[in-house]
Amino acid sequence: MSTSTTPPGAQQRGHTGEAVLAALLAALGVYLLVDAGAIAVPGSSNTVGPRFFPYAVGGLTVLTGAALALRVLRGDRGPAEDSEDIDPDAPTDWRAVGVIAVAFLAHALLINVIGWPLAVALMFAAVAWALGAVGIVRPFLIGLLLGCVVWTVFVKALNVALPGGTVLEWMTSWI
Amino acid sequence: MAIDELLGGFADALTPLNLLFALLGVLLGTAVGVLPGIGPAMTVALLLPATYVLEPTSALIMFAGIYYGGMYGGSTTSILLNTPGESSSIMTALEGNKMAKAGRGSAALATAAIGSFVAGTIATVLLALVAPTVVELAIGVTSADYFALAVIAFVAVATVLGSSPLRGLAALCLGLYLGLVGTDVLTGQERFTLGIPQLSDGIDVVVVAVALFAVGEALHVASRLRRGAVQVIDHQGSWMTRQDFRRSWAPWLRGTAFGFPFGALPAGGAEIPTFLSYATERKLTKHPEEFGKGAIEGVAGPEAANNAAAAGVLVPLLTLGIPTSATAAIILAAFQGYGIQPGPTLLTTEGPLVWALIASLLIGNAMLLVLNLPLVGLWVKLLRIPRPYLYAGILAFASLGSFAVNADPLDLVLLLLLGLLGFVMRRYGWPVAPAVIGLILGPIAETNLRRALAISNGDLGVLVDTWFSRVVLVLAALALVGPIVLRAVRGPRPSPAELQHADAAADEDDTVRSADR
Repeated sequence: MSTSTTPPGAQQRGHTGEAVLAALLAALGVYLLVDAGAIAVPGSSNTVGPRFFPYAVGGLTVLTGAALALRVLRGDRGPAEDSEDIDPDAPTDWRAVGVIAVAFLAHALLINVIGWPLAVALMFAAVAWALGAVGIVRPFLIGLLLGCVVWTVFVKALNVALPGGTVLEWMTSWI
Repeated sequence: MAIDELLGGFADALTPLNLLFALLGVLLGTAVGVLPGIGPAMTVALLLPATYVLEPTSALIMFAGIYYGGMYGGSTTSILLNTPGESSSIMTALEGNKMAKAGRGSAALATAAIGSFVAGTIATVLLALVAPTVVELAIGVTSADYFALAVIAFVAVATVLGSSPLRGLAALCLGLYLGLVGTDVLTGQERFTLGIPQLSDGIDVVVVAVALFAVGEALHVASRLRRGAVQVIDHQGSWMTRQDFRRSWAPWLRGTAFGFPFGALPAGGAEIPTFLSYATERKLTKHPEEFGKGAIEGVAGPEAANNAAAAGVLVPLLTLGIPTSATAAIILAAFQGYGIQPGPTLLTTEGPLVWALIASLLIGNAMLLVLNLPLVGLWVKLLRIPRPYLYAGILAFASLGSFAVNADPLDLVLLLLLGLLGFVMRRYGWPVAPAVIGLILGPIAETNLRRALAISNGDLGVLVDTWFSRVVLVLAALALVGPIVLRAVRGPRPSPAELQHADAAADEDDTVRSADR
């Protein structure tokens, strides 16, 4: 592989996103400083109460956030995290990120309604679909199989508390 | 004497049950090391709930097996997948990949596996020899000294390990903040809980670690997925020849010599020693023309350094209670789950546990050699799992692990939110490890700071009262300012690819110059 002259994706991206992130970090620091003042200090604590460390962390956070925001605005770029499955030159696929986030949120809310195996199967299918798996039935069935097997192992063998859903709990009640 | 106690440790580790957990650990560890997208830190985090049912020795033996196994598995991935992987195996990938493409994949895998075994064994024995001495030195440390140690660990993981010190600090701040949320241990006051009752117990380590590692990684990969079939290079050719062996043994030992001290210093990490090992082998080799085209020394050295560093990291963890890698931090959380606080007293209070752990590391290392040399074909199959299913499965297990902690769907919502944070952190090159270390080490640092200040009646001078704390804090300050100064003077650190070509370019310059003369 010859070294290409175009820099990897990290350098090509705009800096607004990271500047916002750094500003948010500084804002988090301000929140820490302000809210630390609201921590109740019991009269008995003589010297250093529960506020001291939060103040220190808040101060460090404000400084770091501000310094990083400045550097980013001046053009400093971090190298995006490498991973075997990442194509650094690919455009960001916001649709996939959105689908996965929504699917995960939905499964979190569904667990106590339809049970973990079914909720996870639906999430599995949606995530696989968003990442380009062919079809929707096969991913769902694989997810359902995975969910049922894992549920059975963890609940029946390891006694982990995990809602199984009416059907599966009835089917496995003999174990 | 350390040897006697180590033998006692072997007696504990060689029970059928503990052998089973060691085997389970190394199997899981190799699998997650091979699979892209998950690593040992996240796997141990997912299995933290196992501490509720298993007894400490078994659970910790399994976790340590995952830790070592992950290192072996990572080398298989970096040699056979034609793409960059984790930072500590990048150097292995440079030459290993070229070897695989040239049809010498089997030799590369073998030198990596045997090198890992040699380095892991020597470094674990060194750990057993060094640990009692460090404990003796550390037995008199005060709370202030302890705070200083935590500070240097923070600074080291934030600024020395990553490529951008400020971004490391930013991640550390996030971790320290997450560690503050909850009820203050010393006074029972709620801090930063936003009035949400579930937060008064603090944010669970499992949720944070799984979110930042698994969910963040899945979202990051989803945003720029490498489309098309996974390209795995065939591992063909013979195992190591006699000549390969002759060229490998010295790099293995030199790599170990680089890796262990770097891991053992509370400024550890596996990245720098692998860099150094690669650069050294490049200089010392009798076959400079092969470097960049698949030199076996370039696989043997960094891979040994990588594993020796992993063992070295256990020195500060077991003797001082200071974690310097994400996995070590989560193993520390596992100790805490049992109400055990690693520190200078660990060897006396929990001696049998520690020695059984060290003995099982040696056993696990031998198991890993067997698992990785003949069975490599099995692991390679894992590399071919279609990515949509792989990441969907990772999220399913993330859900399982986080839900199992409290059986509360709110934890999963929190998991998603922190996962989104992990995603943007990856996107902008903020390292994740400092956040995990800040989360786990932050509360320990605060407790020691307040203990020290309570003794001194609030006089901050107590923090620099002993020579030990002075030296450590000065080192921390150097580690904080040093990289920034170096960067200003010499420009950014060379990337692995630059390192691979830098010397070649310099050599060419020399030849040109001598030709001119």
